Amino acid sequence: MVIYINGTGCISHQNTIDVDTFLGNSQITCQPLLLAQEPDYKDYVPANMLRRMSHIIKMGIVAAKISLQQAELENVDAIITGTGLGCFEDTDKFLKTIIENNEQLLTPTSFIQSTHNTVAGQIALLIKCHNYNFTYTQQGLSFESALIDADMFLNENKNSNVLVGGLDEAIQPYYDLLVKAGHIKKQEDIITEIEKNKTKGFCLGEGASFFVLSNQKNKTTKAQIKGVKTYAAIKGSDDLKNQLAIFLQELNLSINDISLLLPGNSGDVEDDKILNENNKQLFSKTDIVYFKNLCGEFFTASAFALWLASTIVEKQRIPKTLMHNNNKELKNILIINQYRNTEYSFMCVSSC
Amino acid sequence: MVFVTGIGTISAIGKNVSETLSSLLESRTGIGKINHLQTIHKDNYVAGEVNYSLQELENLAGLKNSNYNRTTLLSLLATQEALTSAGIKDASTYRTGFISASSVGGMSHSELLYKDFLEHNPHENFIDTHYTGAHATDVAKHFGITDYVTTISTACSSAANAIMLGARLINNNILDRVIVGGADALCKFTFNGFNTLMILDKEWCKPFDNNRKGLNLGEGAAYLVLESERVVKAENKKIIAVLSGYGNANDAFHQTASSPDGQGAYAAMQKALEVANFFSNKIDYINAHGTGTANNDSSEAAAIQNIFKKNIPPFSSTKSFTGHTLAAAASIEAVISILSIQNNTIFPNLNCVTPMQDTTLFPVTSLQKNTEINHVLSNSFGFGGNCSSLIFSRN
Repeated sequence: MVIYINGTGCISHQNTIDVDTFLGNSQITCQPLLLAQEPDYKDYVPANMLRRMSHIIKMGIVAAKISLQQAELENVDAIITGTGLGCFEDTDKFLKTIIENNEQLLTPTSFIQSTHNTVAGQIALLIKCHNYNFTYTQQGLSFESALIDADMFLNENKNSNVLVGGLDEAIQPYYDLLVKAGHIKKQEDIITEIEKNKTKGFCLGEGASFFVLSNQKNKTTKAQIKGVKTYAAIKGSDDLKNQLAIFLQELNLSINDISLLLPGNSGDVEDDKILNENNKQLFSKTDIVYFKNLCGEFFTASAFALWLASTIVEKQRIPKTLMHNNNKELKNILIINQYRNTEYSFMCVSSC
Repeated sequence: MVFVTGIGTISAIGKNVSETLSSLLESRTGIGKINHLQTIHKDNYVAGEVNYSLQELENLAGLKNSNYNRTTLLSLLATQEALTSAGIKDASTYRTGFISASSVGGMSHSELLYKDFLEHNPHENFIDTHYTGAHATDVAKHFGITDYVTTISTACSSAANAIMLGARLINNNILDRVIVGGADALCKFTFNGFNTLMILDKEWCKPFDNNRKGLNLGEGAAYLVLESERVVKAENKKIIAVLSGYGNANDAFHQTASSPDGQGAYAAMQKALEVANFFSNKIDYINAHGTGTANNDSSEAAAIQNIFKKNIPPFSSTKSFTGHTLAAAASIEAVISILSIQNNTIFPNLNCVTPMQDTTLFPVTSLQKNTEINHVLSNSFGFGGNCSSLIFSRN
C-alpha cells in the first residue's frame, strides 16, 4: 500500500486549524466532555448555507474544505466518510419531536439531515462532485473502513484523488445518554496521564479530520500511509500481538523501525488493559504519545490520530507539549487504536 | 469474477427465499394493514411489514433472551439462510467478511425507550445497540466472522454499496468470501420522516404510474454470499449468479430530491455497464428503484431512457410487493433479480395502470414467464444524492 497524504483538515478539541503553531498551545483538559474548538465557519462557508447546517455538517464541510485547499484541489474522484454516530443532533431533534408531539406537527428538515451520509452528500453538493460517494458506520472502525476503501479506489483508478474523512459529534443529549449508560468518567477520576487511569469510563470527544489521498506524490505531499487494517474482535493480548506481527511483516517493518507509537488508550482501566500490556511488552524502548487525552474518545478518534501522525511526520517534530527532547528522525509512526476493547485497528504513517 | 453462491431474505413477502418466490409468482403483495409498528398513523396507511413480532423473530432464529433488536434479528435470519444456501458451516476457513447496510440500525428499539431512559433510571442500556453498525457486529460475531466487518449507510442505496464493496474486496484480493447485504426495521422515526416529506401513499404504491402518490415503507433484510473464483473452484461450489457489474455515483443535485434528468442514476448505470464490460443491449431486465414518488420515477425513467435510447429493456419495480425497505432494498432486490435469472421470469410492477405523461416508458405489469433472462440491472438511489447500480448475470 502506498498512499500519499496531500492535504489534511482537522477540527478537534485542540486548535488543529492553526497548523503552523502545531499544537504549540495544546493542553490536556481534565473534563468529561471535550468539545471541538471551532473555527469561524463564515470564513469557509456562506452564512446563508451555514444556518441550515448542524454541528457535524459544519465541522465536516470545513475540515474537508481545508484539506482540499492544502492539496490545491477543487474537486476529487471520490468522497468517502466514516462516522460511528452519524448526524445525532438532527436525529435527536426529530426523535424528540416525534415523542413530544405524539407524531404530529413535524417538519422534515431534521429528518432530511439525519442520515449518516448527509455530510458526504453535502460535500458532493458543494463542490459539484458526481463521482464515487460512500459512507461507513461501524462504530470504532468507521474511519478505517473508509481508508481501506480509499486504498482500493486508488488501486482501481490510477492518478486519482480521494477525499476521506472521519467525523463524529458530541452533542449534549448524546453525552447525557452516555452518562446515564455509565460510560463517561466521573470528573474526580480524570487525570492528565491517560495511561495511568485506575477507573472505568472515558471522556467524550468529537471532531472531523479529512485527508486528500492519492497514489501520486507531489509538492503538497505530507506523509504516506503504508498500511491500515481492522479487527472486528480481538481475543486478548496474544491475539493482538500476533496480528501486529503479521501487519508489520506485511509492511516489511519490525518493532525497531517504529519511531513513535500512538496507542488509542481511552482512559478506561478495563478497555485499556490489552493496550497497556502490549505497550509495555513490545514497545518499552519506543517513544509513545497518547492522543485521546487531546481529542477525547469517540468513534472516529483514530482520524485525529492519523492527522497527528501525518503532521508529526511532515514537520519532523513532536509538539513540546506532548513530548520533551525529541530529536530523532521520525520515520514510521504506528497507530494502534481500540474501541471498547473489541474493535482494534492498525495504521502505519511514514515520512516520504 | 465474483460469484454469488448463497442468498437469503426476509421481508413482507416471505421469511425466506422460497416464500418470496411464491409471492412473486402469484403476484401477491406483502403491503397491507400495519400490525406491529406502534404509530398513531397505523390505521391510515399501509406498509410492508415482516409479519412477525420481535419475540416471533427471535423464535425463528432459534434464540432466547438475545436482547437483539428487530434490525439485528432480521439481519441474522437472512444471513443464516444465505450461509446455509451457500453450504458454509465454518466461517473461518477462508478470509471472510461481513458487510451490512442499515439506515437507522436500532432505532425501532431506541424510539420506544428514549423518553424513559432520559427521564428515569435506565433499566436497559439501549444506546450500545442503537448504533447503525451494531447489528453487523452482533451478526458477524454470531457466525464467527472476524476478518472484516463493516456497515454502509448511504440511505436507500446502502445495500447496493455493501454488495459492491464486497465484490471489490474480493477483486482486490483482501477477502476470499464475503456476506453482503442490508437490514432495516420499520420504525416511527422513518415513518414520520417520510410522512412529513409528504411522499407516503396511503394506499398501495403505484410505481411508474402517472397518478402515483408516493411510496409505501417496508422492512426486511437480505444477504448474498460472494465468493472468489479460487474458493468456488476449490470447494466445487454451485454458482447461483455472477455479480458482473457495479457502479456508484452522486447526483449532487439536492439533499433529498433527484435531478430531473437523473444524472447520478445515469452515471451509476453507465459505470456498472463499464465494469461488466458489455453494451446496454445485453440487459434483459431492469429491477428499477421505482419508489412510487413523483420525483424518483420520472428522474429514473429519464436516466434509463438516456442509457438505453430506443432499446428499453423490460423493467419493473418490485417495491410494489415489498414496500421500500430503505437500506435493505437493494439487497432484497438483488435476491429478486437473481430469482428472475433462475426462473427466466420477469416479476410484475403491481398497481401501475396509467402511463406517465413525461415519458414513453411503461413497466411490465403482469408476470412474464419463459423469458430468457441472462443479465439484470438493479438500481438503488438515496438521499444525499447516492446512486448505485448492480448487474447480475447467469453463470
